[in-house]
Amino acid sequence: MSEFFNQYFDFTVMGDHFSEVLEGFLKNLLLFAVVLVLALTWGLILALIRQLPGKKFIPLRGLTIAYIDVFRAMPLLIVILLISGGLPYLEFIPKDIRIPQWFGQPDPFWYGALALTLVYGAYIAEVYRAGIEAVPPGQIEAARSLGMSHSQAMRHIVVPQAITKIPAPMLNELNSLLKDTTLVSVVALGESLLIGREVLAETFNSSAVMLAGLMFLVITLPLARLVDYLIKRNQGKVTRGAHIEVA
Amino acid sequence: MPEAMVKLAGVHKRFGELEVLRGVNLEVAKGEVVCILGPSGSGKSTLLRCVNLLEPPEDGEILLEGHDICRGPNSGTGEQSWELDFVRQRVGMVFQQFNLFPHKTVLDNVTLAPRQVLGKGRAECEEKGRALLERVGLSDKLDQYPERLSGGQQQRVAIARALAMEPHVMLFDEVTSALDPELVKEVLDVLRGLAAEGMTMLVVTHEMGFAREVGDQVVFMDGGVIVEQGTPADVLDNPREERTKKFLGLVLER
Repeated sequence: MSEFFNQYFDFTVMGDHFSEVLEGFLKNLLLFAVVLVLALTWGLILALIRQLPGKKFIPLRGLTIAYIDVFRAMPLLIVILLISGGLPYLEFIPKDIRIPQWFGQPDPFWYGALALTLVYGAYIAEVYRAGIEAVPPGQIEAARSLGMSHSQAMRHIVVPQAITKIPAPMLNELNSLLKDTTLVSVVALGESLLIGREVLAETFNSSAVMLAGLMFLVITLPLARLVDYLIKRNQGKVTRGAHIEVA
Repeated sequence: MPEAMVKLAGVHKRFGELEVLRGVNLEVAKGEVVCILGPSGSGKSTLLRCVNLLEPPEDGEILLEGHDICRGPNSGTGEQSWELDFVRQRVGMVFQQFNLFPHKTVLDNVTLAPRQVLGKGRAECEEKGRALLERVGLSDKLDQYPERLSGGQQQRVAIARALAMEPHVMLFDEVTSALDPELVKEVLDVLRGLAAEGMTMLVVTHEMGFAREVGDQVVFMDGGVIVEQGTPADVLDNPREERTKKFLGLVLER
């Protein structure tokens, strides 16, 4: 038992490497913040394409559905490896894009950001879709009967209502996204897990890896409580609504 | 005879195997109020939804102010095309379930479409919105959200919202059916006012008293066709068709 504690909870090791691991964790948070913006936008675009009406959009809708299915079916780690291993060799792409080092971040950061955006965009598109489909069809009919185009109805009527229906599932996705930023360590981005493993290789002690895990808990545990709270509050709303209708 | 405001000829509508409209012919003159009665599933609501192309018909002709709004595959263009913009800026619709926008205030519900669709300025739209809401007796509710309003109030907002687009024709789809009995009159009074001002109206309703009092024409539908039509006195008091008699017997004997 004490061996276990020494291996994972050696406070000397944690203390010695605290600032390095924290610096790595801040990189996780930065990657998370970048992907958060990109994936929320990309997911919304995918969800909106999926809702385009009429026969002429069948090919585009089909393509979007295929994209969403494939990127949810593909292991994220493999997507990260494929992008960081493939993109630099696509020579028809300008060098600044295939080996991006924007805003002082190294190329693994951007490969990770791209992979996470591609995959999480697909998951988030499905969350948006659930919200859009939860808006009663009468809302679109009312908007259309007032002369609004499909895109006006989506922008002013459907999407604003849809996003109020999905905060809990969306936060779940974002929670997973934050944790999955550690996977980018596989392409040598110096984030908390990679630093933890470097310390492990140096000291044969896993406490720095554990420390990285604990840093995640500080954010993800309160998030889990928040999701629970939002779900409960939402159920309360539904019950009250039903009560009004009965009365 | 003046040109009909709305004219339907041989309108067919199918949902999969189910043929909901099986050849409907109807003419509505400018300023006329046509009340449409019939059992549920008879195609009344679908008929209204065809007129503003929420459910484009598969076959037949619909003329709005003489303009063919559903030029079919045979009209020369080679493919079905519907004049959505022409229709929706001339035809207003009010629904059984109100369908107010819950995330917008009462005033925003009324001003949204004129601002976004017609591109009018906010000040102009709000002035007009206030006037419309005053007319339906809701000037004290401008900044409320719909969920705070009673069903009757919500339905009056929905009517003001449709009127804000300055429609030439109004469609009312069982607009009092979801209301508590004591709230029906406040909505019907708004309809009476509109009729008195000469609005052309197609009203699907189960309110026989309203149809008798306000309707210029009463239409009885069953099984996707118009079974009988005429003045309220003709159709309601002296129905010729067995199906009309049976329906009226069931409704009036309640």
